[in-house]
Amino acid sequence: MKKLVLPFLILPACFTALVCGEEVSEGEKLFALHVKPLFAEKCNACHGDEPEKLKGDFDMRTRESILKGGDYFAEDVLVPGEGEKSFLYLTTTRKEEDYEMPPKEADQLSEEQQWWIRDWINLGAPWPDDERVALIQKKYAEGEQVATSKALSDDWQNRRYESGKLWAYRPVKTTKVPEGEHPVDWFINRKLSEAGLDAAPDAEPHELVRRISFGITGLPPSPEQVSQFKKEFMTDAASAVVDFAKRLMDTPHYGEHFARHWLDVVRYADSAGFANDYTRPNAWRYRDYVIRAFNSDKPFPEFVREQIAGDEMDSKDPENLIATGFLRMGPWEHTGMSVFKETRQMWLDDVTDSVGQTFLAHAMQCAKCHDHKFDPVPTRDYYRMMAVFSTTQFAERHAPFLPGEQKAAFAESESWVNAKLNGYQEQQAALEKRMNSQRKKETGEAKVGDNGLDPGDEASLARMKKNISRHKWELDRTRPIAYSVYTGNTIPKKNVGGRTLLPKKGPWQEGAMEQDTILTGGSVYSPADPVHPGALSAAESLGGMAKRAFPTGKGKRRLALAEWIVDEKNPLTSRVIVNRVWSWHFGRGLAGNPNNFGGTGAIPTHPELLDYLADWFVRNGWSIRKLNELIVGSEVYRRSSRHPDASLVRERDAEESLYATFPPRRLVAEELRDAMLAVSGELNRQVGGIPSRPDMNPEVAVQPRQIMGGTASVYEPNSNPESRNRRSLYAEKIRGLRDPFLEAFNQPGPDNSCELRETSTVAPQALTLFNSVEVLERAIALADRLKKENRNQEATVERVFLLVLGREPSAKEKTLCLDHWNNGIADEEGIAYEKAELPTRLTRTVMAEKTGEPYDFIEYMPTFETYKPDKQLADVDASTRALAHLCVALFNSNEFAYLD
Amino acid sequence: MKHGDKHFTVSPNRRDFLYGLGAGVGSVALTSLLQGAGSGKVHHAAKAKRCIFLMMEGGPSHIDTFDPKPELTKMHLRKFSRKGEMESAMSSGERYFVKSPFDFIKAGKSGADIATEWVHLKERVDDICFYRGAQVESVNHPTACFQLNTGNRFGGDPAVGAWVTYGLGSMNENLPGFVVLPRTSYPQGGAGNWSNGFLPADFQGTPLRPTGSPILDLNPPKGVTANRQRKNLDLLGELNQMHRAQRPDRDDLDARMSSYELAYRMQTEVPGVIDLDGEKESTLEEYGIGNTKTDAFGRKCLLARRLIEKGVRFVQAYAGNWDSHDYIARAHGSLIQSVDKPIAALLKDLKERGLLEDTLVVWCGEFGRTPDNGIRGGGQSYGRDHNAKAMTMWFAGGGVNAGHTIGATDEIGAEAVECVHHIRDVHVTLLHLLGLDDNRLTYYHAGRHKQLSQFGGTVIEDLIA
Repeated sequence: MKKLVLPFLILPACFTALVCGEEVSEGEKLFALHVKPLFAEKCNACHGDEPEKLKGDFDMRTRESILKGGDYFAEDVLVPGEGEKSFLYLTTTRKEEDYEMPPKEADQLSEEQQWWIRDWINLGAPWPDDERVALIQKKYAEGEQVATSKALSDDWQNRRYESGKLWAYRPVKTTKVPEGEHPVDWFINRKLSEAGLDAAPDAEPHELVRRISFGITGLPPSPEQVSQFKKEFMTDAASAVVDFAKRLMDTPHYGEHFARHWLDVVRYADSAGFANDYTRPNAWRYRDYVIRAFNSDKPFPEFVREQIAGDEMDSKDPENLIATGFLRMGPWEHTGMSVFKETRQMWLDDVTDSVGQTFLAHAMQCAKCHDHKFDPVPTRDYYRMMAVFSTTQFAERHAPFLPGEQKAAFAESESWVNAKLNGYQEQQAALEKRMNSQRKKETGEAKVGDNGLDPGDEASLARMKKNISRHKWELDRTRPIAYSVYTGNTIPKKNVGGRTLLPKKGPWQEGAMEQDTILTGGSVYSPADPVHPGALSAAESLGGMAKRAFPTGKGKRRLALAEWIVDEKNPLTSRVIVNRVWSWHFGRGLAGNPNNFGGTGAIPTHPELLDYLADWFVRNGWSIRKLNELIVGSEVYRRSSRHPDASLVRERDAEESLYATFPPRRLVAEELRDAMLAVSGELNRQVGGIPSRPDMNPEVAVQPRQIMGGTASVYEPNSNPESRNRRSLYAEKIRGLRDPFLEAFNQPGPDNSCELRETSTVAPQALTLFNSVEVLERAIALADRLKKENRNQEATVERVFLLVLGREPSAKEKTLCLDHWNNGIADEEGIAYEKAELPTRLTRTVMAEKTGEPYDFIEYMPTFETYKPDKQLADVDASTRALAHLCVALFNSNEFAYLD
Repeated sequence: MKHGDKHFTVSPNRRDFLYGLGAGVGSVALTSLLQGAGSGKVHHAAKAKRCIFLMMEGGPSHIDTFDPKPELTKMHLRKFSRKGEMESAMSSGERYFVKSPFDFIKAGKSGADIATEWVHLKERVDDICFYRGAQVESVNHPTACFQLNTGNRFGGDPAVGAWVTYGLGSMNENLPGFVVLPRTSYPQGGAGNWSNGFLPADFQGTPLRPTGSPILDLNPPKGVTANRQRKNLDLLGELNQMHRAQRPDRDDLDARMSSYELAYRMQTEVPGVIDLDGEKESTLEEYGIGNTKTDAFGRKCLLARRLIEKGVRFVQAYAGNWDSHDYIARAHGSLIQSVDKPIAALLKDLKERGLLEDTLVVWCGEFGRTPDNGIRGGGQSYGRDHNAKAMTMWFAGGGVNAGHTIGATDEIGAEAVECVHHIRDVHVTLLHLLGLDDNRLTYYHAGRHKQLSQFGGTVIEDLIA
């Protein structure tokens, strides 16, 4: 590229001389409506906003300065009339290597935007003055302006939006569906026939029965359910599906499965994450609250109010306190090292964003530092919403157990924690005794002395103290406490390492009320304009909501926000939840990003259907159960995942959005584990309760896990199989210690909200499903169950297919499996297996902080005093072992892992 | 017999179903697949083709390694205080300035500052570019580690190694592109430090565990023979084949079948990579393998060289824990010993093999340490607390400004004052050296083109030769 060497030409700036009222040229229109705003948005940050710091000495504030060029381009920057020759255009095409503009790929111009520049240059690159630009914009502007609270800049305030991208803020529109038509089928089939596609026929009953059973409960159908369903399906397909779904929704497993969906969105975990990863001993009561809410079909507005403002409604009702655990679900900690103001701000940012994503499908964080780049969400709205939470404070509050809450494993948990504590305390006493006898007064230069102690011992003492305090906090798990909040002043704390109580003198006596302001650049140290609590102003203006006054001061700000969210006129809320429910059935939303209804999220494939369902949902008491019934009662839900003319479907529905077939899916991590436990007969179907500790890959379980000031206690599974073998939903979710099996199968990390599960296929999945002890144990249990059922070999193979795959085997499959089994018996006969040893003490090695040397210590694992192992190879005969290997293969089969 | 080949034909039509472990293991042409997923080619001429990232977890003290502060000797044990809203445990109570217990020399032709504890590394300083200007935002380990490793201090985003393999693809279809050599105990924040974040799962760092099975469940459980496993796998192949025959348009099912064969092959391939038996006795000695003090990190350094020789793009090796709040003389002294010889051997070995010129070696921790210390727990032995405002990191090999020290901290090492850059600029520079432009290495997720630097950064030109 050439440097500026030639004197440049100055063209007469005749275009700006035009006066208002004169005819507006196409070039002027292009400039005023598109090119100028584009320059402001994409170019001027480096080429004009800061005249002292022009990149490449190129100034884009005026036509003259552009014509002048910069360091790298001269008269060739802008050649009026010659768009294709002007580098102002060429650099935006990103074909000029090393001169791609704007430099960030994230900011790249669309082809249409590039052409605006090119065409504007072709039309002579006219540059009307500001006044005329304003007039032209007023007269000709496309797109819509949106009234919002108030932007940081006028440019943003006057910005225009593509109408299509504002769909989510507009009032829900209802389309009339002809009498006798199922609304889901009517909307979906209309688009299918427009595309010239026929729908796939109904799925086979054995496929459907699994689809419904996993779809509603996350568990496989029992052989009895399979045969009943098949019978009913022959008589009346549609009602068979709905009836089966209803029966399933009458079981508590429905609430468990739908809670799992919800908990993905709210990032449920049983620990706090980060340096200490402290337990959140009472979080489980929130998890169970969600299960109860789905099982009792709590009207959605109640569900919203309780989670956002339960305590402000009626803090005497334990359920209300438990529900507000939602507000504290994100990872958060405050250590002695951190500055309170910053960690407090971390939570305020987290909760603002979380409420936005969960209920309004708006990632609020995008508007934290600047007005939203794409959506009509000014930074002011972000801080208005944050102000709703500025009087919200953490507390673990007294909340008596409700009659339905599960207390079954309380005693087991308490005795384990106490045994763990005793173990540590005994070790600690012995160590302290020894150290006291060794301790010397430090000598030598002050602060550099030698205290006579083994630094490894010192580290160990610190580790014990830390773990003792951690386990003591765990004792709260079985106490009537809710992980909750209250409304009051902010009281700074040095660190949080235990239960947080309500302030003794009342919520408004100590501390101070936070000042609600915009924070410039998102920095807690840069307060700017004051704000009042509020919410998304675009939803109010475009959605036609009546303005609500949010209280300030000591008022119930969160309750006001909850009421704003569930306002029947709120255009977002019903669409958001209806879209989520749809995505839970079909694996994709009608709007493709259930957490993002803004301009960057996918636009709905069937907007009329989405609106119809949103309206229907509100008119039917905001009942999720009824919505489920409506959806599963459709022909679309029954469709086969295979199409007779698959290639035509691929050609005409490349986006796979027309629902000619039902989208097949892989079981999610929890379903895979739960299904193995269910068919092996080991699943403890108890609902709710304190977290379960299943067996985990033993190498991961004992791996030292660093926490602040030491090493966390080893992971110990429950000693009783019935406590271990519970649904995966109940497995203790420790942010710093993921179960490698669940993680491999795309269980999302609990730090970010997960709108939809992902499915990747990687070798670690094969390794864990094929090689892990846990899967082998399920297979042994299943084989043992089958053997005890005492059928002949052939009938046993039929039975295992029915249990695992919900169907009978084909003749060929039967032969293959029988051969495999018999071959296995021949291999296994005469082999003796040893039982695994389960020591109660484990030597672990860590690095001592004070020496940088390895240090060994012994950890006591009380769980193995009473541990009852699941069935192992050593416990069963050759025939059972060989059958177990057949079961391993079936657990690994694609048919087991996928739903048609 | 080639087991089961007839059952596992590969039809790599779908990008979201990549195979393998991390970037994949097996005989499938993964390189092209990976290139399909990432951009697969450099944005500009690369100075380095691969990276070895030596992660000194815990936060090594710059003041006691590469950034001498004679002024602290004068101020030794003078009281220090900080008040106001920035106060935390690290700035409250009785605090004292603390001198370094170590002596410093000016080493090599370049005259680089280095503590004399670095007996071996001081011979290699002319290959190194020291940098004293970097700053991070967090004083807690996990958040600072997340920021150093992923650019996002709250975690959840892809690690540098994931971005690099996403951008450059793999040079060996039989090995993952991004390998992590962790300590037995994982760092705070755990595997989030080598996460693929929102990138496809194939770009996740694959830890080769130092004890037990190098990869979880690599082998069948105890009591299950290889023969039995093979037979189970063949049965699985047949069952899947019949299931697949009825579903002609389901390529994803093929991918899943292949992943089983790949997993099976890994059982033999992985041990071959990590087995150091083929190395010369003298090499093992140079790396300090066999000596209790240096064995653990020596193995990691040698393994790192072996891995990059085999085409792995990004190896991250952990050493630590450098969190010396007390007894800094003893703790840092011992830690320096444990890594000094292995690192010097690695640099020498890479150079002798002609690999250093296109391999970028990075040495750093998640933050530096304070010039002052409080009295903790009644003890009086001195150390240093966490310091996000000053640290030393260094670079060697692939296009770095070797033989120079860039940037400076103030006279007590409290804060960077020259050539000061946020860690994101270090990330951008690192990508730049590898031929990648942070602004173009993007992935569309949650409605935004995301990038390692989060919102863009600047190349630190002074670090580049």
